[in-house]
Amino acid sequence: MSDVLWLIPVLPLAAAVLVGLFGKLLRGQSHWPVVAAIAGSACVSLYAVVQLHHQSGPVAVLRSTPLPWFSAGGVNIDFQLVVDPITAVMLTAITFIGTWISIYSIGYMHDDPGYPRYFAVFSGFVFSMCGLVLTDNLLVLYGFWEGVGLCSYLLIGFWFAKPSAAAAARKAFLVTRLGDAAFVLGIFLLWNKFGTLEFEELFQAARAQPNEPILLTACLLLFCGAVGKSAQFPLHVWLPDAMEGPTPASALIHAATMVTAGVYLVGRTMPLFVAAPAALATVAVIGTITALLAALIALTQHDLKRVMAYSTVSQLGYMFAALGSGQGDLAAFAVTAAIFHLFTHAFFKALLFLASGSVMHAMGHVIDMRRIGGLRKALPITHWTFFIGAMALAGLPPFSGFWSKDEILAVAKEAGHGSAYHAAYLFVFYGLLLTALLTAFYTSRAYFRTFWGPEVIPAEAGHHGHSHDDHGHDHDHHASEPAGPGVAHESPFVMTGPLIVLAIGAACVGGLLAVTHGFAHFLGHTSDFVKYLPKHEHHADYGLMALSAGLSVVGIFSAWWIYVRNPKTAGAMARAVPRLYALSQNRFYLDEIYGWLAVGPLTAIAVISRVFDMLVDGIVDIIGRVPRFFGGLFRPVQNGLVQFYALATVLGLVVFIFVLAYLRGEKGAW
Amino acid sequence: MTPQMLILATLIVPLVGAAIAAVSRSTKAARGIALVAVLVNLALTAWLVLPVIPELIARAPVPTDAEPLSFSPLHTLKFDLLPFASEPGKPSPALQFYVGLDGLNVWLVLLTSFLMVPAVLVSWTAIEDRGAEFYAWLLALAMPMLGVFYAFDSILFYVFFELTLVPLYFMIGIWGGPMRRDAARKFFLFTLAGGVIALLGLIGITIAVRNRTGELTFAIPRLIELVQQHLRAGDPTTMAYWKQAQWLVFLALTAGFAVKVPLFPVHTWLPLAHVEAPTAGSVLLAGVLLKLGTYGFLRIAIPLCPDAALAVGAPLLCTLACIGIVYGALCAFAQQDVKKLVAYSSVSHMGFCVLGLFALNSAGINGGLLQMVNHGLSTGGLFLLVGMLYERYHTRMIPDYSGMAARLKVLSVFMVFICLSSVGMPGLNGFVGEMLILAGAWSVQAPGVSGAWLASVVCVGIFLGGWYLFTMLKRVFFGPLHEPHHDHHAPPVADLNARELCALVPIAIACIVLGLWPQPIIDSARRDVNTVVKICDGARDRAAVVKGE
Repeated sequence: MSDVLWLIPVLPLAAAVLVGLFGKLLRGQSHWPVVAAIAGSACVSLYAVVQLHHQSGPVAVLRSTPLPWFSAGGVNIDFQLVVDPITAVMLTAITFIGTWISIYSIGYMHDDPGYPRYFAVFSGFVFSMCGLVLTDNLLVLYGFWEGVGLCSYLLIGFWFAKPSAAAAARKAFLVTRLGDAAFVLGIFLLWNKFGTLEFEELFQAARAQPNEPILLTACLLLFCGAVGKSAQFPLHVWLPDAMEGPTPASALIHAATMVTAGVYLVGRTMPLFVAAPAALATVAVIGTITALLAALIALTQHDLKRVMAYSTVSQLGYMFAALGSGQGDLAAFAVTAAIFHLFTHAFFKALLFLASGSVMHAMGHVIDMRRIGGLRKALPITHWTFFIGAMALAGLPPFSGFWSKDEILAVAKEAGHGSAYHAAYLFVFYGLLLTALLTAFYTSRAYFRTFWGPEVIPAEAGHHGHSHDDHGHDHDHHASEPAGPGVAHESPFVMTGPLIVLAIGAACVGGLLAVTHGFAHFLGHTSDFVKYLPKHEHHADYGLMALSAGLSVVGIFSAWWIYVRNPKTAGAMARAVPRLYALSQNRFYLDEIYGWLAVGPLTAIAVISRVFDMLVDGIVDIIGRVPRFFGGLFRPVQNGLVQFYALATVLGLVVFIFVLAYLRGEKGAW
Repeated sequence: MTPQMLILATLIVPLVGAAIAAVSRSTKAARGIALVAVLVNLALTAWLVLPVIPELIARAPVPTDAEPLSFSPLHTLKFDLLPFASEPGKPSPALQFYVGLDGLNVWLVLLTSFLMVPAVLVSWTAIEDRGAEFYAWLLALAMPMLGVFYAFDSILFYVFFELTLVPLYFMIGIWGGPMRRDAARKFFLFTLAGGVIALLGLIGITIAVRNRTGELTFAIPRLIELVQQHLRAGDPTTMAYWKQAQWLVFLALTAGFAVKVPLFPVHTWLPLAHVEAPTAGSVLLAGVLLKLGTYGFLRIAIPLCPDAALAVGAPLLCTLACIGIVYGALCAFAQQDVKKLVAYSSVSHMGFCVLGLFALNSAGINGGLLQMVNHGLSTGGLFLLVGMLYERYHTRMIPDYSGMAARLKVLSVFMVFICLSSVGMPGLNGFVGEMLILAGAWSVQAPGVSGAWLASVVCVGIFLGGWYLFTMLKRVFFGPLHEPHHDHHAPPVADLNARELCALVPIAIACIVLGLWPQPIIDSARRDVNTVVKICDGARDRAAVVKGE
């Protein structure tokens, strides 16, 4: 029966292959197989959830029959699909949200020349992500992990003729691959130590040898992979650039696939991390630094999508901070909190991106908040759905984000008690509180600047064509463009429908699952939790809830005060602290610093290698000249004069005889 | 037809084809003959190989203690070429024509015949001048390439090994680029010099064995068996003798094979030869001829001299391979010429291969073996694509191109695909080999070699591989369309035609099939790989005993 699980990855794969091969025939109808396949996967995923829910006993799990891949020299790799509650939650998020994004894409991409290509890669993306969460083997996970990276490369570089898109695609691929190189090193470190790559066997081995130094190294290496894929500091630089792809693709990358992979990886391998407390503390600190840094950058960005991108980085940092706080008996609670936030975040972040896309669609692909404003009348559905998403992100009760964020704060608060890394967790807790405030502020800032105030509509509005040559982020050139307001239309139903569905999710999912404890109960049946992660009774901390809600309200209110009530304060504030403003505006100059410290030197070394290679070749040539040199030395001897040869013969004979005579004389044998 | 006859047929058909092509009147006739010949040859090879694979898989996974610890090829064909005087009653020692199939060569044989087809197809319109000669040389190249893999006699191996040089020398020297003469000469002298030193090693081990056992033989399996008998007997006086003999033989063989692979610092002939060679030459050079080096290590150097391979081979060659991996990748990045970039990527990828082999454990050797086949497919494919691009615009300079994906859609799709295969994308062929090499590198056990370091270098190589290939993709295929200067009165440059697709599609399919289903290669080579591993384990035990004392 469990072999029906194969449908979950196979359906999107089949759709991807079908559309990829026959896209030319399908053209404008290319979305049908993809939407149907992903919706089918979603149905099977829900079926799996129901099955898991009805299983009795402490552990709920569904396994397919294994399918061998390869086996050589002690590396034995099988494909086996395993659905336990964590996987089921991930699958639901991926396929359910993926379905709505694919439907939305029908409207957004409708007259793009690369329509079939878009849907083929989209489906491949969902396939890779499903495979990633379904496997029970670290190397297979890595395989799908790379597949996810490939699909993101193809989607980010979808408009490949645009130099910025081509550059962003390459950057995303290479930056994440940097993390992946460390990840795969860690995988084989574990293999070398424990002789297996299956989660269950690895966990058992790790439990048998806690505080094994190799575990710490291995966990940090695995985390490097997560840092790359989930855009954590210092490898977060690819994610904001990744918006060069079509907006629904960004929604997919930011919400349902790709960036959540790193969180899932650490959550899944938590039994290893628990055995290496220092690794957990590192995860928490990196997560907090990322959360803070990205929130600070998001404060001053003018591009609506860029604000959303940094908010994703920041929220992922939140999730890692939660995971890292899972010291000792907090582990299960920490994973629950992180996965819960991942789940709610998937809804509201997909919603925010799609709503931003809807704004772009209406504004003729202008997304600079200095050029748009007061759109709440022109785009009513987009406005309300965006509002719900923004409030969920800001953590305003009773929207989803509030509940999951509160759980993360609770874990971080408790982690500080009695841990060896007390100071680190204090930083984590207060860092996260500050981030919560900043998040509420910048989210509301984006909301108010886009939808409130006087109506500003750019001249490009009303042009729905995806002439991607002019679709760019060249905000600096807008002064030269024709003045005069354009016309704004609300997006078609195929786009607003998904917005409404996701908005309902963003509004309700968190509250429903948190208040009923349904999420925690469901996840509690994961075999990793039952077997390897200690139990911990958590009681609702109403004081913390009030604090978190209060921070959110303060953030929203101050944004309203600054951007709606007194629109001039914003500029004044920016002028008051020009250095800080520039630092935030320029993303802390990290791209430039990497350019100097990493890219430049690496390129220089490459050029030096090339020159050095010419040198090696030159040395080889010199060696090659040695015979010719000696040949040249003796060439005059071969001068063709018979007299010379005769002379040489006679002289040679004389020398020969004398030598012979001398030698005989030495031996005294006359 | 028996497998023995098929082996002979696959050696003769290309020669017959070459002879007919050489005397044919026109290029058109010659290329038709060449295509027929390579297709027939591929069919014969498939007929030979496919039934043998289940037989190979069905063998016992490890030779038992009763069996000789050596290779035991199937379907062997032996006859004496040059018998020496012998005492009556004893089998006469001879240079033999001794060929056969086992798990190590069977896939390389198939790869060789397989790559001959695109090599002919890609030359179809590219070679106009003296076409009959060209196709004759091209076909003539197939015979020694197959022969060197079939050979189980050391001298026969050497003869085929050196015979591959002649056709390629003429292909590069006549139909190459502007610096073809330099390139051909350097290629020839470099590999010939290495080969001659390797011959010294081959003769040396024969004499060493004869001195101790009184048996004169050139058969590789018999040589290995005799050496193993002595080594396992463990007599201390003979051990000193064998140790010294192994050292000298190993270094001599390494000189020959390292040039062929090529390893840093004797790689400089390769980029030049690749850049100047016609596309077909590059495809076969990268796809097949470089494997002669790694194959030589695996077939001859490691099993014949296991103690030396462990004591000096592992530290020396792993270090050179690591340097090659990183250095090749860096050089590849800095190239302006796409073909040179691919050539240096070969240096890097073959470094992976050598590293896997000299991890001297099962995972590493399996990985190295897979990587040989995989590199043949993916780098062969890259050279085909670069050749197709060159045929359209007559330039290989990266700065001359931009945004070609808009003009050459299908070519770009294949380019991205083959690049993915080359960087080891899971699901495509490169992945499994790279992962096994990484596993082998981690678990290496040899004096003076650290598994963590080797594995780290492999990972750096994996990253750098993506770096230079994806940077090249971005520069050449993405961004705004800018075609190199070409004749504007000519019709616009067209995408891949049916002939070119016929050359590429089978390679792409092979990449997918081997990526998803590499197990047949692993299974069919299991016994032979385990034999080598067992030989290496013996050397490790002896080294441990010496250390213990």
